Amino acid sequence: MSDRPAPWLAIARYDAAGRARGSLATTGLLSAFLLLFLAFFPSLSTAGVDLDAYVEAFPPAFQEAFGIIAISSIEGFLAVEFYQFAWLLLVGLYLAYLAGGTIAGDVASGRMDLTLSAPVARRDVVVGRFLGLVPLVALLNLVLPVVAYVGVLAVGETIAVERLIAVHALAVPYHLACVALGVAVSTLVSRPGIAQRIALGALFGLFMFESVAASTDFAGLGDVSPTAHYDPSAVLVLGEYDATGAATLLAATAVLVALAVVRFRRADLSG
Amino acid sequence: MPAIECRSLTRYYGDVRGIEDVSFAVEDGEVFGFLGPNGAGKTTAIRTLLGFLSPTSGGATLLGHDAADPVASRRARERIGFLPGDPGLDRDRTAGAFLDHQAALRGESSRDRLVDRFGLDESRRIGDLSRGNRQKVALVAAFMHDPDLLLLDEPTSGLDPLLQEEFAALVRDRVDDGASVLLSSHVLGEVAALCDRVGVLREGHLVAVESVSDLRSRGGKQVRVRVAEDVARADFERRDVMNLRVGETVSFTWTGEYDALIDLLSGYSVLDLDVVDAPLEAAFMTFYDGDVPGPAGGGNGGRSAETRGGDAPATPAPADATADSGGGDR
Repeated sequence: MSDRPAPWLAIARYDAAGRARGSLATTGLLSAFLLLFLAFFPSLSTAGVDLDAYVEAFPPAFQEAFGIIAISSIEGFLAVEFYQFAWLLLVGLYLAYLAGGTIAGDVASGRMDLTLSAPVARRDVVVGRFLGLVPLVALLNLVLPVVAYVGVLAVGETIAVERLIAVHALAVPYHLACVALGVAVSTLVSRPGIAQRIALGALFGLFMFESVAASTDFAGLGDVSPTAHYDPSAVLVLGEYDATGAATLLAATAVLVALAVVRFRRADLSG
Repeated sequence: MPAIECRSLTRYYGDVRGIEDVSFAVEDGEVFGFLGPNGAGKTTAIRTLLGFLSPTSGGATLLGHDAADPVASRRARERIGFLPGDPGLDRDRTAGAFLDHQAALRGESSRDRLVDRFGLDESRRIGDLSRGNRQKVALVAAFMHDPDLLLLDEPTSGLDPLLQEEFAALVRDRVDDGASVLLSSHVLGEVAALCDRVGVLREGHLVAVESVSDLRSRGGKQVRVRVAEDVARADFERRDVMNLRVGETVSFTWTGEYDALIDLLSGYSVLDLDVVDAPLEAAFMTFYDGDVPGPAGGGNGGRSAETRGGDAPATPAPADATADSGGGDR
């Protein structure tokens, strides 16, 4: 038995290998999306329109939701057009959705029966399925900064490399929290399709709540949302790195995975 | 130490009975068959034994380890091979990748030998394989670590007769090496060919446990008789007559002594008489009719349930099949 890997590692590897093609496709699509937006930037910045004045006229909740600080600089443009939208919302929702299908999907398909008939603890399954999505998070946050940097240079602009790296480094805890949220929901809801939609809906609901709460007296309540702890605009435009936010997200990730383990340990596998 | 010991194992799905008060033991080196129609609780019993479902009450041990204790049952699972009724295989992975993964979880001392034996092409995507070939993949996964205890849920569904033979040989090889087996089926022939003992499950209850040799010997005689007179059905409705069908010929399963049969027929002018050993199916039915409490026929009655589609509804269960052909004595 010593020649066998730890079950959680075996499960994570198998899961990640199964996602390899999808992960590459997602990375490719998001890269293309980023480059498409960057291609618009030169015409926008030379159009002679005072964009910053324009976005300042937006309602505060809207500015908060899309992290709009400034849009006329390349940093502000990237933050608003790509990172706030694609990285925070789109990728976050996608990861929560994927993770929502993990445990529930295995149980419903009967795959879990085979896995758990082997000498595998339920904890190994939850941890393994969580880790199986980590390579996707890593791939996205390793490839996209390079694509962004090259793209910015290609449109004749410059960007602080350090801020670009930071916006991705700080995205990792946020993305992990999204995965953990999905995995946790996946142990609570037995039907995979429902679990995926609940995970996605929960993250989106939290994002909306945070956006609205931010412009009220209850801004502090918005902190329950993972989206409150990752602010690409602050990183790119202001160079403010929220280490506390990252730590909070990592702690939340650990708590959510632990909850998933506790819940799944006691669950009946009746899909 | 028995390979499996089941003590009053009960599992309800809410108000719906899965299994109730099921007690039996599978001895070391024994092949034990669960026999019963769809929805009788076979799959529920196996999944509860494996810890996928927690028992509502009662308990079980596998290879001496408490089945309901996660740590103990994990130790047991080191030495268990499991074939689900409807194996959840990843359709978009190759057979090789899937077996690599299963090997990482359980070990693969006999994998190459089994893949050769079944002539499996590991490079094919599982989704591209025929149902029979997918079943082979699941069989290799169940047997490749040379388990000491095999739990096989409807193992031959989807296998052609040739492969069924191959499967039976595989089970016998493992048993010769000292393994114990619990297999479920609704095909009596399959159970009879492989098992030492059979447990009959019906509506969640284990209604009888019989050795296959006993079952064969108490099967009774299949009688077909044609007489000159008109036959009143009531004349033949007696304790040692089962599966009675009255038409141009009268046919039934006779479980009494020959003398009593001769006495019964002496009141008629017999034109044609045919008495043969009842097939095992009839023996099984005899057994059902005589000893089973509860409503006769239709083991699919609404109050019992199985969680997963191991039992294809299109395939008639033996009880129903015989009831259909055996006709009007209900």
